[in-house]
Amino acid sequence: MSPVARHGAVALGALVVAVALALTLAPRASDAVALVVVAAVAAAAGLVGSLPTVRTEHPALARAMLTVILVDAVVFATAFLSVPTDFNLATGAGMAIVLLGLSFLTGASGQISIGNGAFMGVGAFATAIWANHHATTPIVVTLLISVVVGALFGLLLGLPATRLRGPYLAGMTLAFAVAFPAILSSFSSWTGGDSGLQLPNTATAPHWLVGLFHAGTPTLTTDTLWLTDIVMVATGVAFFLMANLFASRTGRAMRLVRDNDVAAELVGVPLPRTRVIAFVISAAYAALGGALWTLLNNSVSPATYGFALSITILAVIVIGGIGTISGAIIGGVVYAYSTNVIAWFVAHTGLNPQGNLASQLNGIIFGALLIVTMMFSPMGIAGTYRHLRARRAHARERE
Amino acid sequence: MDGFLTSRVVTDILGGLTNGAIYGLVALSLVLVWRATRVLNFAQGAMPMFATYLGMGLLSYSWPYWVCVGVSLVAAFAIGAVTERVLVRPLYGKPEINPIVVMVGYLIILEAFAAAIWSTTPRSLPAPFSPIDWRLGGQPVGLSPFSLFEVVTALAVMGAIVVLFRYTRLGLQLRASALAPEVSRLLGVRVGRMLTLGWMLSTAVGAVTAILVASNFFTGLTPQLMDGIFAFGFIAAAVGGLDSPVGAVTSGIALGVVLQFVGDYLNSNAIILVALAILIVSLMVRPNGLLTRSAARRV
Repeated sequence: MSPVARHGAVALGALVVAVALALTLAPRASDAVALVVVAAVAAAAGLVGSLPTVRTEHPALARAMLTVILVDAVVFATAFLSVPTDFNLATGAGMAIVLLGLSFLTGASGQISIGNGAFMGVGAFATAIWANHHATTPIVVTLLISVVVGALFGLLLGLPATRLRGPYLAGMTLAFAVAFPAILSSFSSWTGGDSGLQLPNTATAPHWLVGLFHAGTPTLTTDTLWLTDIVMVATGVAFFLMANLFASRTGRAMRLVRDNDVAAELVGVPLPRTRVIAFVISAAYAALGGALWTLLNNSVSPATYGFALSITILAVIVIGGIGTISGAIIGGVVYAYSTNVIAWFVAHTGLNPQGNLASQLNGIIFGALLIVTMMFSPMGIAGTYRHLRARRAHARERE
Repeated sequence: MDGFLTSRVVTDILGGLTNGAIYGLVALSLVLVWRATRVLNFAQGAMPMFATYLGMGLLSYSWPYWVCVGVSLVAAFAIGAVTERVLVRPLYGKPEINPIVVMVGYLIILEAFAAAIWSTTPRSLPAPFSPIDWRLGGQPVGLSPFSLFEVVTALAVMGAIVVLFRYTRLGLQLRASALAPEVSRLLGVRVGRMLTLGWMLSTAVGAVTAILVASNFFTGLTPQLMDGIFAFGFIAAAVGGLDSPVGAVTSGIALGVVLQFVGDYLNSNAIILVALAILIVSLMVRPNGLLTRSAARRV
């Protein structure tokens, strides 16, 4: 039996099981159709991605298929979750994109930015401003425009980064984060001043999606679902591109710059350009995350993008695992659920929820985790997990 | 003559000198830590803020003003020493982003604890001298007894630091530990102790700054008191050169004057934008600062 046939048989079997389950378990015909579509997509992607030739010779295609499966599964799951859960997950996914950009900057160039909350704000406001002037632009185009604007801001700030070492760049990005509210109010005729901006029209779910999951009635639920799915697809694309970049020649060059910049220069890596590119990419990713947040909330407020957000971003990516891809996902989940977890903690310890301590618990916990992580396990949760697994594998080999 | 002294330009220069003295002090405290331990201390605003709460909080128990100032300084020395021993010492020789991240975490924790203990409501500190401008022929001159006190205090602190470093045995040991720790150790200098002392000095300079800033009628003492000031102080230190105390102070004062003109002739939002532009341009021209003599790193 050839590998193609074997994998094909496995995929077909999985598909049949999924369809059978769908037909017996799903309450409505439309749900069954949705399940079948989802299972078919996953099975096809799984088949292509698991082929030996694809896995060895076309790693990018294999990663693409893995992305398709994950996004497919997440999009499917969101249809059955509550609106607040969807919203929470989408917020976390938007954050995960921002974290990925920062993780890349540090993992690839050894630099750090304390201003990514402000770059996020650039994307968020770019989306709102554009949508208010050109209400008919497709969402994809608006997102791309916001990413470009974010990248341009990144270039402007990144230019000195060609010659800067870590602390200077960190300080400069901090100054940018502190200055960002002043930038917004300087252009208040565009940015709406303190009250921010509303989007001119809400994104409404297309008919096929509504028909598939909710029996033809467009509601707040389907609109949230639609937005969540847009965010999830965008997150998938962002992670796919980054995974390729990490593995590419450019990614290797960047890691060399991080580990030993003198050696990198000797083997012909253009240092200034590499540093600026890393910085611009991280700014563009932050802008995409901010743009998605604007879509999700249907509005943007300058209060969201203050100095505190920039610090929070740094905290969650360090906890998740800076320099890794999975760390960005872990950080996104941590961000999405930290508020709930802390509220639960406050409720169960009998702290006064309106008290000073309860309102500052967020900062105390994040600050402590940040310090403890950096002191004892600088690679965060993702890096620690990887380290433990490597050690176990090593121990097994020696037996 | 009266007309000249109350003119817009002179008023701006005097007001700018007052702000610039504050920026210069923050820059100086950053430089003290950077020279000693090669750490850019992002908690440089938060640590003195905490010390100021500890000391000046005693005003509510009707302790005398100058005693509270003294307690703040002692608290700052203690915080600086403990921070260096516990948080910073394990990080020497680690990648340069590690201390940055730890100090940002420390900043978050200190501000959160201060807000949890003392709330975020601004607490007004009494100014030891009148904050109302002197008048000449009915016109304010842009200088009050309190702002004169700010400038004099700043100059005195800077002068004391210079004297300490240039003319005392202790200052020589401090400089030697920063420049050549191994050689200094061989010659019997207690290098670890000197590094701790660098952090203590820096936090104390910060506490003086924080008290001056918080005594301003319009701000009062808040947990986030130093966030904005820190940004200006960092810009001053980076422009002047993190290695140069004199450069940091000079560029802090110059920055204060320039920004006062920007705020007066443009608008208040433009202040931080111009400061950011100055930072970007100066880092592109001279990454190691405009006022240092140290050789540039090529890569």
